[in-house]
Amino acid sequence: MIEVRGITKNFGTMRALDDVSFRLERGEILGFLGPNGAGKSTTMKIITTFLAPDSGSVEVDGIDVLEKPLEVRGKIGYLPENVPLYTDMNVHEYLSFVGKARGLGGNALRDRLDWCVEACGLLTEYRKTIGELSKGYKQRTGLAQALIHDPDILILDEPTSGLDPLQIIGIRDLIKRLAGSKTIIFSTHILQEVAPVTDRVVIINEGRIIADGNVGELSKDAMGGVRLYVGVQAESEMVEAALRNLGDLKELKPLAAGDGQCRFEIRAAFDADLTRRINDLVRKEGWQLKELHESPYNLEDTFISLTRRSQEQSRKGVA
Amino acid sequence: MFGMNGALTVFRREFAAYFNSPIAYIFIIAFLVLNSGLFMTGFFLTGTADLRAFLGNLPIFLIFFIPAVSMRLWAEDKRLGTFELLMTLPIGAGQVMLGKFLAAFAFYLIALAGTLPLPIMISVLGNPDLGAMVSGYIGAALLGALYLGIGTFTSGLMRDQISAVILGIMACFVVFIVGVPGVAATIDGWIPGLGAFLQHFVGLSSHYENMLRGVISMGGLTYFLGMTAVFLTLNTLWLEGRKY
Repeated sequence: MIEVRGITKNFGTMRALDDVSFRLERGEILGFLGPNGAGKSTTMKIITTFLAPDSGSVEVDGIDVLEKPLEVRGKIGYLPENVPLYTDMNVHEYLSFVGKARGLGGNALRDRLDWCVEACGLLTEYRKTIGELSKGYKQRTGLAQALIHDPDILILDEPTSGLDPLQIIGIRDLIKRLAGSKTIIFSTHILQEVAPVTDRVVIINEGRIIADGNVGELSKDAMGGVRLYVGVQAESEMVEAALRNLGDLKELKPLAAGDGQCRFEIRAAFDADLTRRINDLVRKEGWQLKELHESPYNLEDTFISLTRRSQEQSRKGVA
Repeated sequence: MFGMNGALTVFRREFAAYFNSPIAYIFIIAFLVLNSGLFMTGFFLTGTADLRAFLGNLPIFLIFFIPAVSMRLWAEDKRLGTFELLMTLPIGAGQVMLGKFLAAFAFYLIALAGTLPLPIMISVLGNPDLGAMVSGYIGAALLGALYLGIGTFTSGLMRDQISAVILGIMACFVVFIVGVPGVAATIDGWIPGLGAFLQHFVGLSSHYENMLRGVISMGGLTYFLGMTAVFLTLNTLWLEGRKY
């Protein structure tokens, strides 16, 4: 549905994007991650035809963005990072304007207005001037604008920035509701927002794609193993020594624990058997088990590890 | 993609935007008060039944008035972020430009229409040359279109309205001043032929003067419409080229 092939973009002497490629199938949802200034917005501006790449190509539903930009624009609903609102209009006037500019009219426009206002929770603010709306409602109006023509593709640049937790959940639910019927790219720097919505992520840093795939696989790959937590009612030094005897642990870190208890964080190469062996050990020693579980690395760990690795690589490249 | 519907939608939005703020009314009132005031002074001094005291001053007056009308056309969208919305709508940059230009032009025509009591008053008081008044008003409309074309273009170049209005005033001033005979003669003194060339092909005075006298010539129409089209085309090219 969206095919980005080797796009590069310079702003003056600054290289904003460097050979960026990824593809998205129909109905997929992609979390587009990266630190501020990594090139997320630039990539989105190129897909939506606002900017043109210096080299490389982008196809949306098989249509080249440089050859037929107007057709591409018709298929996309776009929420830019700076929510584009006419502050002198009310919500109804504004959404009608965007709808008409996108070729809607009459009953079709009325139906879509009703749907968007309901889906984005704008009913109470419908006749209010946009300039007087709260940040959250402005963001929702921007989102409604992107949905007005019922596009196949949604490009949302930081759709939850500046919202409170409840509003974030609202937007997340809306994206989930659209999942399946629409192809969606949304960017964010708040990583916890990604997991509930999708597991497909692309991570970009300093204009280059540094990871593309499933969150779980990326974590294992980036962190090189698993993480376990063990907590028992026993003397700390004794437990630590026994755990070290289990074999090649990468890291064994004592954690704070209650009176007479001890807790450890263990990092090890991927090993399906490790949990069982710890369990056997605890039983054999007769300790009282308080906690034993494998904790998947979260996206945050993965993200930090990957961006650090890429920064180190680029520094080495310079040196 | 949707014929002229895109331009029409943008026109409606932009035209309404003028009247969504008090600035529109202030502009129109200032336009009417200043022009009527200037006219009445001249009218009583010369005692002739024509509109020269009003329309004759218009090329200088509009140098300041028109860029103030057009300054918001693009600069405001850049400030609000709606520029990115407009440039990702499935309507071409040319249509968006046309909608904006026509909205500003309609606004100017409303201000101009507010001066119609002047010719009516003259007709009651004396025996004016009706043809000259009609062609004078057509000239005033075309003059406004030309300045608006320039102002739309400069608004597109700039990020904020203040820069847009200043650049617009300077550009309108250049188009006006090179058409003034004395200035053209001076330029001819430096580079023979250039002054006369600029006076006729870039400068507006000779074409506008003809229309005040009641002469609507093919050359005059071609000048005003052509120059306006040049600046609007430049504006569109700038918008299209901006993304590279």
